[in-house]
Amino acid sequence: MRWRFVALSALAVGCAGLELVAGRGMSPGAVWDVLGGGGDATERHIFLQLRLPRMLVALGAGACLAMAGLILQSALRNPLAGPEVTGVTPGAVLGAVTATALGLAGWESPLAVVLAACAGGCAGALLLWLLVGRGGGDPAQTAVHGVLVSAVLGGLTAMVLLVEPGELGSVVQWLVGTTEGRVWEHWHLLWPWALVWGVASWLLTGPLTLLRCGDDIAMSAGLSVRRARTLALMCAVALTAGAVAAVGALGFVGLLVPHLAMAVFGADMRVGLPGAALLGAIVVCGADAAAQLSSRLLAATLDSGRLTLPVGALTACLGAALLLVVVRRTPSRTF
Amino acid sequence: MTKSMGIHLEDVHFGYPARSVLQGVDVTVRPGELTALIGLNGCGKSTLLRLAAGLLQPNQGRVLLGGDDLAGLSRRATAARVALLHQSAPAVPGMTVRHLVRQGRYAARGPLGMLREGDDPVVRRALRDVGVEQWADRDVDALSGGERQRVRLAMALAQDTRVLLLDEPTTYLDLHHQLDVMQTVVRLREERELTVVMVLHDLAHAARFAERIVALRDGRVVADGTPKEVVTPGLLADVLNVAGRVGRDPEGGWPVCYPDHPLPALEYENQFH
Repeated sequence: MRWRFVALSALAVGCAGLELVAGRGMSPGAVWDVLGGGGDATERHIFLQLRLPRMLVALGAGACLAMAGLILQSALRNPLAGPEVTGVTPGAVLGAVTATALGLAGWESPLAVVLAACAGGCAGALLLWLLVGRGGGDPAQTAVHGVLVSAVLGGLTAMVLLVEPGELGSVVQWLVGTTEGRVWEHWHLLWPWALVWGVASWLLTGPLTLLRCGDDIAMSAGLSVRRARTLALMCAVALTAGAVAAVGALGFVGLLVPHLAMAVFGADMRVGLPGAALLGAIVVCGADAAAQLSSRLLAATLDSGRLTLPVGALTACLGAALLLVVVRRTPSRTF
Repeated sequence: MTKSMGIHLEDVHFGYPARSVLQGVDVTVRPGELTALIGLNGCGKSTLLRLAAGLLQPNQGRVLLGGDDLAGLSRRATAARVALLHQSAPAVPGMTVRHLVRQGRYAARGPLGMLREGDDPVVRRALRDVGVEQWADRDVDALSGGERQRVRLAMALAQDTRVLLLDEPTTYLDLHHQLDVMQTVVRLREERELTVVMVLHDLAHAARFAERIVALRDGRVVADGTPKEVVTPGLLADVLNVAGRVGRDPEGGWPVCYPDHPLPALEYENQFH
């Protein structure tokens, strides 16, 4: 088990390094110069004020989304649950889009966007909770209601965008999920939030492992199932809202990284949860590096200097393919 | 080690808005006794077991465990006194035998205690008790039905309780594994002085292994006594709704049933377990 963590940590460092040199505007040699204390003012600015925070935000957001996904899948006993289908991600998007349309927040005011996304994410989760609350927390019902809530929130977002088409351009990247233009302000908002809720989730790994065994068994073993599930869902919502506020609606990470984590680390959540966080960080950071590299290639071939590929587009394509594999390999919808 | 615990159900009523399941059940299980619960599907056997495990609360009446009312105990405190082996269990992908059995320690260790790696002697003993230690590191889902049932029994034993409730522990198992599970339970009960209540569909197992049989019909106790007292052609007709004869095992002397044919269906048939 330990060597898996070591190997994955090495991979994470590799991805982070790649992310640092992958961007446009500065050659790997210049990055080396800056690391050595040299480089001119522009290069230092690009590296220290843009690339470093961007890398950290990618790592942090990936970790948050993966943990949120694993918690949701365990607590709801549903391998196809993810932040996207609990109303949190679409709620956060709606919050941010609405705030932008009303002129309360904008691309240049990250704090306002973060706050609006958090409020929206909580509202989405609250809506789900209000719908499911009476149902007694039945996992299948929760999943179905989650899809409904997500669809409604997505529709509302589309309506806001139609009313305020002028904002479309700046919001679209955020709808897909991107780390473009993330600065220290985003990182300083993300890390304390992620740390607090990450630790809270880790303290819940005992009950979460039991929840994976099914409600009857968990109850017989002494777990207050409803309370444990409520706390777990709270952690998942908070982690998702934090990540979405930082990088936007990055698709499929929260849905698929948990499956990778299960395959690598097994069902022991004490190991699985930190493992999922590490894997999520690797996936998002690696995907962002890959997106930047391919943007460079595309820009060179298409001869358009402004072209950028958002990381969310890459994770969505990659995720859809992986999802197909998961669905084919999972004969039953609940485990 | 604490003394054995008895179970005491006092005028227990339980039901759902549409349908009542138990209608005034009084059962006292003495400490250290092995009791079999029998009855048709839907007569309330499983419900009674769940009430005794504190998973359900009676609408009326009390459930006492070693003298304490379960209504006043937390989920964890209840689970430290009574373990229940459920009739069926969902799949647990990626979980090893050792890890699943370890989950039985939750009541004793608590949410934060489960975080410690800890070398737990109770888990090791539970694995040894049911003879699964040699494949403790295999995936539970990769095991056969009989092996999985032993693992789940080990998980219940890992709760280290004085009372063990088993809901149809032998259903879906072949004859070899049925006897294997029954004999394991009988042996452990003698070694640890456990109080055991098991729901059994197989009257042969009940008559042979139980010291006492409690028969339910439509949410009421209709017979309660030793196998020799209780297992009669009248019981077959009244409780199980079959016509049959009852003989004696030539060597052991316990009652043996020869069911002949089903009697006409009951006018009131329950849909639930």
